[in-house]
Amino acid sequence: MANKYVIKFTKNGYAKYTSHLDLLRFFKRAFRKSKIALSYSQGFNPHPKLGFAQPLSLGYSSSCELLEFTTDIKYETDDIYEMLRDMMPEGLELLWCRELDDNIKSLASIAEWAKYNVHIPATFDSNKLKLLVDEYMAKDEIIAMKRQKKSKELVPVDIKKMIRSFEASIEDEGTELNMILDCGSISNCSPELVISTFCQFASIDVPRYTIEVDRQELGFYNNLQF
Amino acid sequence: MNLQKKLDQILKQVEKPGRYIGGEVNSVKKNREEACERMAFAFPDLYEIGMSYLGMQILYNSINSKEGLACERVFAPAPDMEELMKKEDVPLFTLETKTPVRDVDMLGFTLQYEMSYSTVLNMLSLAKLPLLAAERGEDYPIVAAGGPCAFNPEPLADFIDIFLIGDGENLLPEILYLHQDCKKNGLSKEAFLEKACKIEGVYVPSFYNVEYNENGTIKTLCKLNENAPYTICRRIEPTTETLDFPVKPVIPMIEAVHDRSVIETFRGCTRGCRFCQAGMIYRPVRERKKDTVLNLAKTQLENTGNDELSLLSLSTSDYSQFREMTLELMDYCKETNVSLSLPSLRIDNFAFEVLNKIQEYKKSGLTYAPEAGTQRLRDVINKGVTEDDIYKSVEQAISLGWRNIKLYFMIGLPTETYEDLDGIAKIAENIIEINKKYNGPKGGRFKLTVSVSNFVPKADTPFQWERQNTPEEFREKHAYLVQKLKIKGVTFNYHDSFTSVCEAIFARGDRRTGKALLKAHEMGVRLDGWTEHFHPDRWQKAFHETGILPEYYAFRQRDVNEILPWDHIDCGVSKKFLLLERNKAYGETTTKDCRYGCVGCGINRKVKCEMEGIYGK
Repeated sequence: MANKYVIKFTKNGYAKYTSHLDLLRFFKRAFRKSKIALSYSQGFNPHPKLGFAQPLSLGYSSSCELLEFTTDIKYETDDIYEMLRDMMPEGLELLWCRELDDNIKSLASIAEWAKYNVHIPATFDSNKLKLLVDEYMAKDEIIAMKRQKKSKELVPVDIKKMIRSFEASIEDEGTELNMILDCGSISNCSPELVISTFCQFASIDVPRYTIEVDRQELGFYNNLQF
Repeated sequence: MNLQKKLDQILKQVEKPGRYIGGEVNSVKKNREEACERMAFAFPDLYEIGMSYLGMQILYNSINSKEGLACERVFAPAPDMEELMKKEDVPLFTLETKTPVRDVDMLGFTLQYEMSYSTVLNMLSLAKLPLLAAERGEDYPIVAAGGPCAFNPEPLADFIDIFLIGDGENLLPEILYLHQDCKKNGLSKEAFLEKACKIEGVYVPSFYNVEYNENGTIKTLCKLNENAPYTICRRIEPTTETLDFPVKPVIPMIEAVHDRSVIETFRGCTRGCRFCQAGMIYRPVRERKKDTVLNLAKTQLENTGNDELSLLSLSTSDYSQFREMTLELMDYCKETNVSLSLPSLRIDNFAFEVLNKIQEYKKSGLTYAPEAGTQRLRDVINKGVTEDDIYKSVEQAISLGWRNIKLYFMIGLPTETYEDLDGIAKIAENIIEINKKYNGPKGGRFKLTVSVSNFVPKADTPFQWERQNTPEEFREKHAYLVQKLKIKGVTFNYHDSFTSVCEAIFARGDRRTGKALLKAHEMGVRLDGWTEHFHPDRWQKAFHETGILPEYYAFRQRDVNEILPWDHIDCGVSKKFLLLERNKAYGETTTKDCRYGCVGCGINRKVKCEMEGIYGK
């Protein structure tokens, strides 16, 4: 019986400029420091069994990051939480640790959707914004240009069916978009594609670097939630 | 727009934003109430280079462990970040509290290599500080500098308020407390500098004026302030055993060049290679006790979660209890799954025993540094290595399964002839032949790398008067070696000659060379250590326009009676000894390691030498 656990943490402030790989390096180190006996893979180059449920783009903040790992011995989840909590650097806050059901192969494999909040420094009349959102979502297809991983070419993809919900409101001297998008190995939609297509559609012309994205929730198959 | 908001936009547009965010594990943030004296420790290169430098971690720890003092870090931004900082009007800031550098009390640069000087100026400029010390009034931070290059501080004399020479662990906090005191009592910058210059290891360049002879050499160094000493003695901590050493180093959030625990086993070196500045300016050898090293290693590994440990010193195997310490460390590392690396190891029988164990599966490669191709020239430079030593060791390495061997040489050394270059090729050929004995006439997957660097004469060495080869001479020698080393299985690497010329100019430059530096800075030069950012054309123009001639500063043999720009800085080793060693070099006579008996370098006038004569005569 495997000892599988998951921890949830937030990523805020300057910590959001820590890349996925650097964060993984940080956790490997934190586990070594805490002396929690992580399980290692077999082979010539054994590596610890730990991984994020879903990678987070560089520059995004998040209140729902999940890291799963397997240990050689059984721990109380409270103990793991205690051991890791004080090691978190500025901007990363550990929320809890839970056991993970044995049946779950990996969180990454069962991720289904993600909820994002996007802040764009451009304002509208709220009626106009509502109209824009309705029109955007009423389209039969929403074509976004997506860069292919291998060929680096931009290819058009229809992201319409990957947008599970999409709302907008005027907040804090700007426009807030709240969206739930497909996320995971079966169907995945980056918020970047929604942001770029919506901005184009609504004639919002602000530089990308003024837009803030926050991941708020991850959803999994069988209504699993963490 | 406030700084955080501006940064939020800038950081989304740059490569590796993690370089600029701070907040790393073990970084220290003190608020205004906790620390009224704040220093920004500046490393004039990119984050991932500076974070691999142990000296910064040592001083960061020394200062932050003191009440009332705070040390924060600042590195040079990469060009993409620099451009945006200028565009958005963001001044250079510290990582910890994002304080603009111009608002700290002291800005301290570490000078590790001459080619970082232009980055020092660029960082001052990005911090929006006037570059010239004389133009920085009371409202600006004190600009300090230290490190090995501060032993000839003159090229930076116009830009730096105060140089700290020698060991900084106690000196730096002392200066910060003094500054805090002066501030409290409303004393001027000048008054602070006057008090500071009486402290051992402190050099205030503005208290001196240099006069020159018609032929360009130095006539005299005049004191402009009666409090200033005639000679500035290097600060020497008599023992490293009791010095604070960081057991909670800052852990870089992005991958640094070296991402590992490092413990300094000792400072100094007794071998006396005549080209080596470090071998002179860090004397005498001061060891940490074996148990201290072991404890520091364990504590640091536990505190950091590092999975690699390395030892730092000028010559790992010269540690007096090297065998015992290594065996104990190996056991500990094996137990805790930490990989151990031992740099600058002398490759003897014991080393093989150790390396065989710690590199069981992946034999990384072995490096030898004969430095010169013939015994004659090795005697000139006092490199106590014979060709037989190397062949024996290499043969053993090959028989034990090593397939990658690296050789380091220097060219342009005093008295060098083409026979010495032939010697380099001969050594390479012989090693290739040795390999064939074990891996067949085709040599197998064996790879020999021959790396040749250009000799740069350095201050405070027996070769401080020597001429450097011209770029043409270097190029001819490189071309000659390229032909000679066309041997199957041999890779030949060499360095850019013009970089070496720049290094030589500043390594032994006087105050006037600062003008060339300023000119080069105005032409946008910085990050010269990076080939992709190095602009030889701009440097050439800067030297030309300011009349700083490489012929004078680099290629000229200096007279032994000449006043050298750094003569007023006493590194502890006497000029008499350096001269004696120079004469012995020309006589092709070697000097023994002083562990066989004192060789009279003069350091024992200042501090006790623990190692003197320990091997017996």
